[in-house]
Amino acid sequence: MALAGTDPIEELYARGVTDGLPVVPPTRERVARAVEATGRAAAELIAEVPPNYGRATVEKIAINAVMAGCRPDYLPVVIAAVEAVCDDAFDLHGVSATTNAPAPLIVVNGPIRHRLDINCGAGLFGPGWRANATIGRALRLVCVNVGGARPGVVSMSTFAHPGRYTYCIGEREEASPWDSLAVEHGFAAGDDTVALLAADAPITVYDQRSRTAPDLCATLAATLAVIEHHKMTHWGDTLLVLSPEHAAIVAGDGWGKADVRRFLFERLHRPVHELVPGVNGGDGLPEHVLRKFADPAHDATPIPKFRKPEHLKIVVAGGSAGRFSAVVPGWTFSKGSNLVLRRIR
Amino acid sequence: MHDGVFFEDHGIPTATVISSEFVRAAAAQAQALGAGDYKTVVVAHPIQPLTREEVRALADKAFDDIVARLTRR
Amino acid sequence: MTEYLDPTDSVAVPRKTAPRPASLDGKVVTLLDISKAKGDHLLDRVEELLRERAGVKTIVRKKKPTFARPAPDPLRQEIVGATDVLVEGLAD
Repeated sequence: MALAGTDPIEELYARGVTDGLPVVPPTRERVARAVEATGRAAAELIAEVPPNYGRATVEKIAINAVMAGCRPDYLPVVIAAVEAVCDDAFDLHGVSATTNAPAPLIVVNGPIRHRLDINCGAGLFGPGWRANATIGRALRLVCVNVGGARPGVVSMSTFAHPGRYTYCIGEREEASPWDSLAVEHGFAAGDDTVALLAADAPITVYDQRSRTAPDLCATLAATLAVIEHHKMTHWGDTLLVLSPEHAAIVAGDGWGKADVRRFLFERLHRPVHELVPGVNGGDGLPEHVLRKFADPAHDATPIPKFRKPEHLKIVVAGGSAGRFSAVVPGWTFSKGSNLVLRRIR
Repeated sequence: MHDGVFFEDHGIPTATVISSEFVRAAAAQAQALGAGDYKTVVVAHPIQPLTREEVRALADKAFDDIVARLTRR
Repeated sequence: MTEYLDPTDSVAVPRKTAPRPASLDGKVVTLLDISKAKGDHLLDRVEELLRERAGVKTIVRKKKPTFARPAPDPLRQEIVGATDVLVEGLAD
């Protein structure tokens, strides 16, 4: 597209190819430098991006990454993220079209966090780090410009959330008492990876006074209990971000991630009679579940908030000071989106 | 929309029933898939809070449109 | 004049619209439930009305696993091979 005459920032906005913020004009030179940094051919097809199934070649990804403000050496992370969201298990079709609010959250593991200065510490969900700000933004621009997920047109989210501008963090592996998210999913500690979750906005959990793993996990459970709404059940992949201080409390009691998951999973059950539509809220168990019980209004069978303990994904991240955790709800009902990991190459 | 466009392209007349809030999204998606003239059958939004009887009433209202969409009528 | 590269990709290839029969008389009609809640209530009533008024030959009920994804290829092929027309719903 040739844009003559006027301010390039205005021209690009007028073309409808931005996220509303100014973009870096994708000149041939800038895009060529970005493509070169990947060591791949410009025409190599990385994925077809739902819902329009536009072709995300290395060059198309590079154009969007340049516009987002990426440095050329960020490109391999953006490419891995595009691969991950286009995996069928992620269901980008649903993520982009739903009236619910998910945005793809990128969680980076491995040494590349240091090479690219990806923030894993204080303020990691917020502004101030070019890598976090622009890698997540590049993925968003690919979803809109190549995938066709134009907000209010094809992407019909009622609210969306600010993570649809950019949503990229690193795990603070150095402050974690446990294996990283990537290692738990079969990668080596030295591998560079992205993990993609169709995620709601983070909910901060304040707990300054718990000194034991069960006390702290009881607080976390109460926040997990209200994901979507307090009677939603059978939910899937959801991210729990423990601050280093909170992680130290849990690990200090000798608990591993599996112990946390088991505790939370078991605690997050409610009897059928509390989940009937019309009891404490009009929503509740869907009809196909209610039909399994002869007298739901008096049935005490426990129903789980999460389908399996393994759906509770745990990372350690955030500033050294602060007794907070964050719950990042997934958009992960049965047969919906799942966490997808990819190696960065 | 992907399913409807697929079936039409494979020779099966298709009536896709959607709620009124999604008319624009459906048209944009059909356009992007190369089926700019794809027509849907529209019922009133919202659906989710309705009772079974209320949803059945929507079917009664939409039935003529569905038949018209599938035939030369 | 500066030239910028295009960040979008348009893949649309023109699709056909199927030819219509004069009526549904003697036709096989498939009702595809997209698995969004309440869609089955709508299709139940459509089925009754088709039986009462349209003189169809057979009504086949199918359901895709989730509204959040296009129907899986095997289901699509199964439907294409066995129906004259299709009603799908209910997207809201």
